[in-house]
Amino acid sequence: MKTTPGRLAALGLAILLVVGVGVGIISSAGQALAPSTVALTGYIGSEKDAFFKDPRVVAALQRGGFAVSVTTAGSRQIAATDLSKADFAFPAGVPAAEKIRVDHPGSKAFVPFYTPMAIATWKPIVDLLTAAGVVHTTGDVTTLDVAAYMDLVAKNTRWKDLPGNSAYPVNKSILVTSTDVRKSNSAAMYLSLASYVANGANIVQNDAEVAKLMDRLAPLFLRQGFVASSSEEPFDDYLVQGIGKSPMVMIYESQFIQRAAAADGSITPDMVLMYPDPTIFSKHTFVGLTPNGIKLGDFLTNDPEMRSLATQYGFRTTDTPAFTKFVADHKLAVPASLINVIDPPTYETLEAMITRLEADYNGQGTPVATPSPSPS
Amino acid sequence: MSRRALSALGAALVGVLLAGLLAGCGASVTPGPGDSNTLTVMAGSEVKDLEPLLADIRAATGVTVQMAYSGTIEGAEAIANGATTDAAWFSTGNYLSLLPGAGSRVVAQQKIMLSPVVIGVKKSAADRFGWTGNPNVTWKDIQAKSADGSFRFAMTNPAASNSGLVALVGVASALSGSSDSIDTGTIDTAALKEFFKGQTLTAGSSGFLADSYVRDQDTVDGIVNYESILMSLNGSGKLHEPLELIYPKEGIVTADYPFMLLNASKRDAFDKVTAYLRTPDVQKRIMTDTLRRPAIPGVPLDPRFSTQTLIELPFPARLETIDALITAYLDVARKPASAIFVLDLSGSMAGERLDQLKAAMAALTGTDPSITGKFARFRAREQVTIITFSTDVIETREFTIDDTAPDGPDMTAIRDYVNGLRTYNSTAIYSALDAAYQQIVKEQAADPNRLSSIVLMTDGDNNDGISPDQFASDYAALPDQARAIHTYTVLFGDGSKDAMSSIAALTGGALFDATSTSLETIFKQIRGYQ
Repeated sequence: MKTTPGRLAALGLAILLVVGVGVGIISSAGQALAPSTVALTGYIGSEKDAFFKDPRVVAALQRGGFAVSVTTAGSRQIAATDLSKADFAFPAGVPAAEKIRVDHPGSKAFVPFYTPMAIATWKPIVDLLTAAGVVHTTGDVTTLDVAAYMDLVAKNTRWKDLPGNSAYPVNKSILVTSTDVRKSNSAAMYLSLASYVANGANIVQNDAEVAKLMDRLAPLFLRQGFVASSSEEPFDDYLVQGIGKSPMVMIYESQFIQRAAAADGSITPDMVLMYPDPTIFSKHTFVGLTPNGIKLGDFLTNDPEMRSLATQYGFRTTDTPAFTKFVADHKLAVPASLINVIDPPTYETLEAMITRLEADYNGQGTPVATPSPSPS
Repeated sequence: MSRRALSALGAALVGVLLAGLLAGCGASVTPGPGDSNTLTVMAGSEVKDLEPLLADIRAATGVTVQMAYSGTIEGAEAIANGATTDAAWFSTGNYLSLLPGAGSRVVAQQKIMLSPVVIGVKKSAADRFGWTGNPNVTWKDIQAKSADGSFRFAMTNPAASNSGLVALVGVASALSGSSDSIDTGTIDTAALKEFFKGQTLTAGSSGFLADSYVRDQDTVDGIVNYESILMSLNGSGKLHEPLELIYPKEGIVTADYPFMLLNASKRDAFDKVTAYLRTPDVQKRIMTDTLRRPAIPGVPLDPRFSTQTLIELPFPARLETIDALITAYLDVARKPASAIFVLDLSGSMAGERLDQLKAAMAALTGTDPSITGKFARFRAREQVTIITFSTDVIETREFTIDDTAPDGPDMTAIRDYVNGLRTYNSTAIYSALDAAYQQIVKEQAADPNRLSSIVLMTDGDNNDGISPDQFASDYAALPDQARAIHTYTVLFGDGSKDAMSSIAALTGGALFDATSTSLETIFKQIRGYQ
C-alpha cells in the first residue's frame, strides 16, 4: 500500500501525542493536553521563570497547542550549553541569542518582549545627585548621566563627599549595585552601556578597545564586593533592606513596573524609577531551534493574549499602546519611549570584557599577599 | 574519611528521627532522603531555633525537612567535598558561594530572614561613653575604647562561627577607612589589633557566646552578635543591666539566611518550602518568635526593632580575601591564645585510643590540609601546654608557636612530643584539672592578656587523686580571673558523661562527644572556642 502524506502526518502526530502525554504527566500544569498539543523543552533566563509558571501563561500556550517545559539558566550559561535536545533557547539578551542563532543553522530569532535597563533609587539620592549635576529630571522622567556618574566613580567619590549632603552622609563609594557580571545578563547589559560611554559614545568593537577600556570599567564591578547571581535578588534587597543597602540598583524596568502594578505596598512613595542615559534594551530574544520551537517563537511574539500577559509582567512588546495603557492604568510615571538607547556589542566583544573581569575577580594581575604574622 | 562518612550518617539519622518527632508523624513509613517530598538540609546551628516550624512546613507543603547541623566553613567544605544533602541553610551563603566546588552546586536560593550583626553594649558603659541613643557611634569609636582598655567585649571566632566572620568583615571594611569591599591589600591589621585588644571572650558559636556573656556579664562590657540574639538576651531576664544595641555608623553586615538548593531534582520541594517560608504570615511569625527581620517586602517591622537606617557594608567577592582576613585575625589581630590540653594516659588509653589522640593532636600542627584543618591549627603567638596524667600529673610541657610552618621547629616539637606519649595506670582526672588551673594562675600572673582555655580529654572514670568535691572547692577558691577560664571536656572511650558534663557546667565550658565523632573532628571543633 502506498503511504500517503496524510498517513505520515497522522503517524507523526501520534508520536508527538505520546511524547506530549509523557511530558504532560510531569509538567507543573498537570492538565490533560489538547489533541493537537506539542511538547517543547527549552532553556530560559531565570527572570522569566515566574512568567512561564503562571497558570494564565500555561493556559494560553496550551490554547496555542504548546506544552512547554523549561530549564532556567543564566544567559551566558545558555549560550555555552549543549542545546541539541532543546526546541528553543530564550536568554535575556541579544548577544547570547545571537551566538546561539549563529551556532545553530536553521534557527530563527524573535523578540517577543523587551525592557530597558533602569535604576531603582530613592528621592534623597535623586536630590543629591541632581545637585551634583549627575541626575536630570525632565517631566516625569529621571535620568542618570552615565558619563558623569563614571567620572564620580573614577574619582572614588563617596556619598558623604557630595556637596550639602546631610540626607545620606555615608562613607561608602558611590556605586550602582548590579548582579554578578560573570553570571547574569542584567550586569552584562550594564557593562555594555558603561563600555559604550567609556568608549566615547561608541559601541566597543575589538580587543584593542577592550584592553584600553577595562581599567576604567572594572571598578564599577569589582568595588561592589560580593554580588548576587540573579537579577531578582538585588531588587528584593532594595525593596526589603532599603536605602542603607541599596542606594542605586541596576534593574530591568519590568521588575519595577511589575511590583508597582501589583500594588502590594512594596513600592513606597520615596522610591524612584530612574533611567541610565544612555540606556540599553534587554531584548528577551527567543531562538527557535526546531520547527516547533520556531512556531512557539512566532506565537509568543504575535499572539495578542501572549503579548497582553507579557505586558502584565512589565515587559514592553510590539504593542506599544497596550503597554502605555497598562502603566497609565496603574498611574506609573513610565515613559512610553526612550530616546537615547544604544545597542550592545557583539557576543565575542562582550565575552572578551567579561573574561577580563573574571580574571580580575580571580586575582590575576593583582598581587595576592597573605599578611605575614608580626612577631610579638 | 570513613569516620567522617559515618558521623555524617549518624547526623542524618538523628535528623530523620528529629524530623519525624517534630512532624508528629503518624504514618508508619518514615520518608527517606530519596523521596521527592523530603528535603535533607545541612544547616548552621543559628537556624536551630526554627525547628518548631518544621511540622508546619510539612503540614502546609507536604515536604519533610530533615536538618543536620554543621559550622559555616565546615559545612561549606563538606559540600565542596560532595556531601549528599539536598539543600544548605546557613546564616549567610557567601563563603559557600565563593568556595570552589561548593558554589557551583547551588541551583537556586531564597533569603528567609534577616539579622544584622551588631554590638550590644552594657547600659552603664554606653552611658559612660555617650553611646546611649547616639546614632553616630562608629567602629572607630569602639576601636578607641578597646585600645585604651576601657571596653571589653565578647565575639565568636570568625573561623568557626558566622557572626564572628560577618563582624570581622564589617569591622575590617570600616577600619580600612573606605567602607568599600576590602581586599588583601586594604586589611589594616594595626587597626584590627587595636580593635581586638578589647576582646576578652571568644566562642565557637553565637548561641554559646550569648550563654558565656550571661555567665561573665559583670566582667565584660559588650557582645558582638546577631541583633536577634542581643534582643533575645534583653528580653531574657538574665541580664543585670540591658544591652544598648549599637549599629555603627560606617555600616554593618546583615545575615540573610539563604535557603540554598543543591539537588536540582528537589526543585519542586524547594520551591514549595521557600514559598511557604516567604509568605507574610510565616515571615511575621519568624519575626515575632525569633526577632529576625522579614526577608520580603510588605511585612511591617515589629516596634521592638530599631528604625535606624542600616548602612550595609560589602562582603568580599574573593575567597582569598576572606581567608587572608581570618588568618590576620588569628595570627595578628586577636589576643594570643593559651591552650591547655589535659590528656589522659591511663592504661585503658593504650592502643587505638592513644593512636587517635596522637592523630588528633598532630592534625593541629598544620598537617591537616583541609580548610577546617587550616583554621584549626595552632596559631602564631599561641602558647600550647600539654598536661599528661594518669595516677597523678605525669608532666606539664609548654610550647610557644613563633613559626607556624607545619614542618618548622615549633610545630615539629609538639608533634614529636605527642608521638612519644605512652600509657600508664590509673586515672586522676581532678588532680590533673587542678594542675591545669594552677597553670592558668601562673600564666595569668606572667601575662594577663591571653585568651586561655582548657581541654580535658579522658576515656574513663576518676579513680585516683583528689575527689570531684575537693576540685570544686579548690576551683571556688581560685582568683576570679582564673575561675573565668572554661574547661571544654571531651567524652571519649568509656568516659563518664555525668562527670564531663558537671565539669563543663561548673567552669562555663561545654561537653564535646567523641564517642560517635572522631577525636580529630572534635579537637578541630574545640579549636573554635580557644
